[in-house]
Amino acid sequence: MKVRFWGVRGSIPVPGRLTNRYGGNTSCVEVRPRGAAPIIIDAGTGIRRLGKSLMETAFGDGGGSAHILISHTHWDHIQGLPFFAPFYTKGNQIQVYARQREDTHLQAVFASQTEDPYFPVPLSSLRAEIQFHELVEGAQFQIGNATVTCTRLNHPWIAMAYRIDADNASVVYCSDTAPFTDVLLEHEFIKSPPKVGAELPQAIADKLAEMRAALVAMCRGADLLIYDTQFTPDEYKRQPHWGHSTPDDAIAVAREAGIKCLCLYHHAPMRSDDAQDAILEATRATVLHAGDAFSVVAAFEGLELTIGEDE
Amino acid sequence: MKARFWGVRGSVPAPGPDTNRYGGNTSCVSVRTANGELIIIDMGTGLMHLGHSLLPTEFGKGQGKATILLSHAHWDHIQGLGFFAPVFIPGNQFVLFGHAKSSSMLEGILEGQMNPNFSPLYTLKNLGAAVEVRAVVPGEPVTAGSVQIIGRPNPHGSTTALAFRIEEAGRSFVYASDVGYGDGGPTPEVLALYQGADVLLHDCTYTPEHQATRRNRGFSSYEDAALAAIAAGVKHLVMFHYDQDYTDSDVDSLAAACRAYLDARGGSAIRLTAAAEGEELEI
Ligand SMILES: [Zn+2]
Ligand SMILES: [Zn+2]
Ligand SMILES: [Zn+2]
Repeated sequence: MKVRFWGVRGSIPVPGRLTNRYGGNTSCVEVRPRGAAPIIIDAGTGIRRLGKSLMETAFGDGGGSAHILISHTHWDHIQGLPFFAPFYTKGNQIQVYARQREDTHLQAVFASQTEDPYFPVPLSSLRAEIQFHELVEGAQFQIGNATVTCTRLNHPWIAMAYRIDADNASVVYCSDTAPFTDVLLEHEFIKSPPKVGAELPQAIADKLAEMRAALVAMCRGADLLIYDTQFTPDEYKRQPHWGHSTPDDAIAVAREAGIKCLCLYHHAPMRSDDAQDAILEATRATVLHAGDAFSVVAAFEGLELTIGEDE
Repeated sequence: MKARFWGVRGSVPAPGPDTNRYGGNTSCVSVRTANGELIIIDMGTGLMHLGHSLLPTEFGKGQGKATILLSHAHWDHIQGLGFFAPVFIPGNQFVLFGHAKSSSMLEGILEGQMNPNFSPLYTLKNLGAAVEVRAVVPGEPVTAGSVQIIGRPNPHGSTTALAFRIEEAGRSFVYASDVGYGDGGPTPEVLALYQGADVLLHDCTYTPEHQATRRNRGFSSYEDAALAAIAAGVKHLVMFHYDQDYTDSDVDSLAAACRAYLDARGGSAIRLTAAAEGEELEI
């Protein structure tokens, strides 16, 4: 299968000369099992160009089918949806998956994003056939020949990580998440940064450890692990409650899970291309020094990776 | 006064090498009055970069004050608010003017995009700075220090967007983004708002050909912008809010076509500029 990156940025799109190489669009990855419909993970602004490219195929005359897995509904993961051209052509079938809410239907969350006065086109007037699927952590389901598994992450309002197995290959998408050490992020708003390294109440420490163990188990042996590495260690110390990780956190999970390739992802908005190059080099050096068996890449717009069997 | 462009793009940010010159950030303009007052118009992604530039000033110390004018609450005009660094610094004070039936309704509109489903901020109340939200009464002047501001609604698809006129010491700057006029062009009230402006910044999303084929009307072509500028007798027309698909060379062509159209319609005395991110304009 093929994995292609359409948006690699976290938080907010950042156009400009300093991001030309890695790209300034927010989160969107296309997973394409051999001969199958696209499985899209997240709908940041990167999905706009993906949508345009799909319109050159069966989607152009309403014969397309796509599945969109949403990690969570923070802006940078859904703000491209209304610009996804296949939505506007009758006949296209689009399945949207995201975590079930405690208080409301998933569809209502998406509908409220584009209702008046925020966007000129309400969800109800899109012409494609759109179905919403609510997921609970641990769920496993099929999309064609692909098997999708999910588990929850440590992020405000809770994000989901997904694993897709197809064509004798596997990819895990793990964004957005904080490491599982300093703060439990769920529904409560955390106003000021908790102290990094301070001891947590046992129940919270246990919950975080369990969450991390489930993630490591889901990542086991994956060919590709795409991981939120928005922060440098210093940035993490300042904002541990913002729900993002460092490359070191990603390395630790990659090592324990025995994955084959680690992909740095969800780059900080103000990270210039040169600064991102330096982070990639440093991460590679760490991995080399530790004698780890996996390789490291940094996601950029247009990067396409082939894993397992492909034509 | 001086105007500076922080985001000139419409609808959705458009990153990539082919938008480097004009810029891919969504709508945000700052106006610095001769008196030193700061007025911010619209809060697209350009607002983040304006925010960073303000940190070495009094805004970095929590002693900053600014007026924010919001044309309307479409995404591309509010999506920068949560990334505007000065708004997280206690002590800074902002008064935000926008269009709604009441101030509390306007606040509710902003809250609706900041709830925890969409933003880790949860609510406006978690911003450290003081943000006072006020609904504008169309045509009724608001004073911000030494300047006077008047807002008037323009039709914008199924909704409306406020156009603003800012006046200081006989100089005038008009901001009119996101407008799709009816067949008769601007209303008399709106034309009066534009009248004789030193600078009219106007929605210039499309070529007339694209305007005719795009689904979501409510935007202007360069012809609409040129006609409004001519009818109101403005001195300088600034093109703004380019379609997300337009590359730098497309915008160059848009500007050349607009120039030719102005010249052909008796507007050859009107200066024309295509707004570009980072550029500053003395008014
Ligand atoms: Zn994110
Ligand atoms: Zn997030
Ligand atoms: Zn707009």
